[in-house]
Amino acid sequence: MEQTTIKSLKAKRRALWRQRFMENWRVFLRNPLGRIGMSLLVMFGLMAICSYIPPMINPMYHPMTGVDPDVVSSVGPSWRHWLGTDFMGRDIFSQLLAGARVAFLVGVSAAFMSVVLGTAVGMTAGYMGRFTDTALMRLADMIMVLPTLLVVLMLAALFGKLSIWMIVLMIALFRWPGVSRIIRAQTLSLKQRPFIDAARVSGAGHLRIIFRHIMPNVLPLAFLYMTFRVTSAIVIEAGLAFLGFGDPGTVSWGMMLQWVWKTGHMFQAPYWLLPPGICISLITLSFYMLGRAMDEVLDPRLRDETQAG
Amino acid sequence: MNESRENKTILQMEGVSRFYRTRGNVFRGGGRLVVALSKINLSLRQGEIFGLVGESGSGKTTCGRLIVRLEEPDEGRITLGGEDITHLKGKRLREYRRQVQMVFQDPYQSLNPQVTIADSVAEPLITHKVGDPLDHLERVLRVLKTAGLSPPEDYVYRFPHQLSGGQRQRVAIARAIVLEPSLLVADEPTSMLDASYSAQIFEILQGVRDKLGATIMFITHSMASARYLCDRIGVIYRGHLVEQGPAEQVINAPKHPYTKALIDATPKFGRSELVPTYGTLLAAERPATSSAGCPFFRRCALAERLLCAGSYPPWRQVGPRQVALCHFAQEEVPPPPPAENAARGETGAP
Amino acid sequence: MALLQVENLGIGYQTAKGLLKAVDGVSFTLEAGRSLGLVGESGCGKTTIGMALMGLLPPNGRIIEGRIVLDGIEISALDEDELRKVRWSKVAMIFQAAMNALNPVKRISAQMAEAIQVHRPEVDDSAAMERVEGLFNLVGLPLERLYDFPHQYSGGMKQRAIIAMALALNPKLIIADEPTTALDVIVQDQILKETKALQEKFNIGIIFISHDISIVADVCHDIGVMYAGQLVEMGSAKDVFFNSQHPYTQALVSSFPTLAGPKTKLAPIPGEPPNLTGAIPGCRFCDRCPKDTASCKLEHPKWQEVGPGHHVLCDHC
Repeated sequence: MEQTTIKSLKAKRRALWRQRFMENWRVFLRNPLGRIGMSLLVMFGLMAICSYIPPMINPMYHPMTGVDPDVVSSVGPSWRHWLGTDFMGRDIFSQLLAGARVAFLVGVSAAFMSVVLGTAVGMTAGYMGRFTDTALMRLADMIMVLPTLLVVLMLAALFGKLSIWMIVLMIALFRWPGVSRIIRAQTLSLKQRPFIDAARVSGAGHLRIIFRHIMPNVLPLAFLYMTFRVTSAIVIEAGLAFLGFGDPGTVSWGMMLQWVWKTGHMFQAPYWLLPPGICISLITLSFYMLGRAMDEVLDPRLRDETQAG
Repeated sequence: MNESRENKTILQMEGVSRFYRTRGNVFRGGGRLVVALSKINLSLRQGEIFGLVGESGSGKTTCGRLIVRLEEPDEGRITLGGEDITHLKGKRLREYRRQVQMVFQDPYQSLNPQVTIADSVAEPLITHKVGDPLDHLERVLRVLKTAGLSPPEDYVYRFPHQLSGGQRQRVAIARAIVLEPSLLVADEPTSMLDASYSAQIFEILQGVRDKLGATIMFITHSMASARYLCDRIGVIYRGHLVEQGPAEQVINAPKHPYTKALIDATPKFGRSELVPTYGTLLAAERPATSSAGCPFFRRCALAERLLCAGSYPPWRQVGPRQVALCHFAQEEVPPPPPAENAARGETGAP
Repeated sequence: MALLQVENLGIGYQTAKGLLKAVDGVSFTLEAGRSLGLVGESGCGKTTIGMALMGLLPPNGRIIEGRIVLDGIEISALDEDELRKVRWSKVAMIFQAAMNALNPVKRISAQMAEAIQVHRPEVDDSAAMERVEGLFNLVGLPLERLYDFPHQYSGGMKQRAIIAMALALNPKLIIADEPTTALDVIVQDQILKETKALQEKFNIGIIFISHDISIVADVCHDIGVMYAGQLVEMGSAKDVFFNSQHPYTQALVSSFPTLAGPKTKLAPIPGEPPNLTGAIPGCRFCDRCPKDTASCKLEHPKWQEVGPGHHVLCDHC
């Protein structure tokens, strides 16, 4: 083949993927929920990135260890401390920024792990069928009926304080069954579709069918569920931290709430109580809105223009 | 087409049956056995287009799926070029599939929506490890052109949803012929398409036969398309092959009452005076008697209760290389010359 | 006066890429007791016309020009409430996917009786059941299957039930949109014959929408051939199919395999229909037409009368 033909074909290929991306992006942005969710997330992302700045300006702005020497108890907002300080003189604003970082870390990594696990299990169960299917799904049922928060609390009580990574791992291990059920259902329906038969006739083996034909069709769905899982992971982490089972070496929003409560500032320091509370609500809301908007991108029924016929 | 090529048998099905068990439940008790195909005897000759005609649920699609080994027969034997392929597994099954490909009914469903046309068509090349990626692309372009998509450069990097139904079916044909198989099963490739596309698909299939020398099994519900495209026709009714013979003969001089009923029911497009009306279909179905009798007994206007309900009909030679599964089928033309006797063993059934 | 008059009908769909003119400048009339077959490829606008006649266009579709007059009532000007009164009582439809039009959890007879009583509240339960029984006899469904659920019916029986439902309120016009595509040849043949007999018996007008020219040729008196949103040839079934004048009709006929007559080589139509978004100057078929000239691309073709009652939208016929 001539070089020019190959070049033009490569250009066509790039154009195809670009076009597909732009199309999805447009549908996403057309949805007001998507726009709001996205801008909120960008804001939280900026907060997480900016969390590295205050300690660099002055060590007293370090969220965990930095203490303002002039402050001995919690004070309200001022030029020195935009959102005030906590009971031992730590800056609440820099804690809030650090909390955003932790929320992203916990939310995204726990959700990612549980979705990867759930997708793998769901695809295996759906594709293999028979005994494997039954065994995996019963396991999923058993884990699904366990109350996540309660079990994690009990484990925390057993092993003492948990590190943040243990918490992430725990959330991931307890939250995959929901994803696996949905992915299994999708795999089952995909398995019946003629293009799978067509692939088999083309000579594709099981691995190729799973990775090349089924996976691209379930990944969007898995990705969608990841956004919803992020929400639940953040809420679980915040709950744990608030109840006193969080990682004591990490400043998370839940931890901040716990400090407010434990030091008896619940009704005395709204500048301390409200920001982490609002942030938790907003970040879960924004991931949820993101998911809803993505739903529309992925579900052809919601976007197909009516055909003339 | 020359005689010697036509007479070489490529695919043979001997007494092939396939059963499905319906799932039982608490109220209905255990599963019931449904016969999808019953003792099919069929042979395809090198380079011919064989039409398998039947209604939905007659088992014609099952027959195609057995040939490409998407399903395994419960009874009987299938051979390709003399090699028994009935229960092939693993690597040898994959090798077999280099020679036998299939075009599916619904082009909207048979292409993976997430895979580009180029990757879809190249799939057989990749799974059978033929050539390198650049070679693949070149072959894909060539084969798309054969399938009537030109210029092929405009189609390779698109997703299936960006093409019309007719174009998608041509992509599906391109994928099926990219390995140059010796046998192609086309399962109602035009039933989901507009009439104007059907003619294009027919032309491409004929091209595949003429240029690649492939044998084609064309599964259809339309007698008219079978007449147009096929050299020989087999008529299938509820899992039983009931008549088989050269296309023109089966359509102009059908011998089995079911074939006659099918021809009666086909719209004649204003030329009904050219086709006789046979009236072999019973207005109301008879109640079922035993399963031993003729499969068409319940709807046959010619049936005699004693004979047809009680015993399974024999294969009767009803014309040159034409056979029918009926107690009453008779030849209306003079007996075939002795030379034809050689072919009888192939066409007929025990 | 004619039962149905369609004048210069234009229907557009609002899409993300702009206005898609699915039907453009379509005019025809239908007398009571006659049947008109609309044939064409998918996307040619035939189903859209059927939907407009029922007042059932999807939310993004609307009539942009022309009018539809049924039995003296201008349908195109009615609002939803008035349409609901006309629908089923004057014009009924047999849908493409008729199998899905039945409610799976209700007995057939109950569904039919309900359909009658919704439109005729004065009919009491026993009178409605009587009517249902009459309808069952009419379409050849056995009375012992009255109280079955839809899933107990075969495809052909469901289609009969749908036809019975369409006849329930004695409509003057029935629109049959591909009523037999999902059925087997033998069942299709029986249903087509019965439809024809019922039409003659009750003097109903039928618009038969199909892509299968052999079916409409057998069933319909008159044929309208549609291409890319326009009617291109109109006349009696005999004239249109056996003395076709428009190149598209000729191509359609010669690309169709038949059971009878000489086995000629099929001539496939090359290319694809045009995209209907935006304005199209000139003839819409000229890209695929064997006899197009330079002027075809520039000027809209005009209707020509090529025989009594036989019209063609082509300048070269």
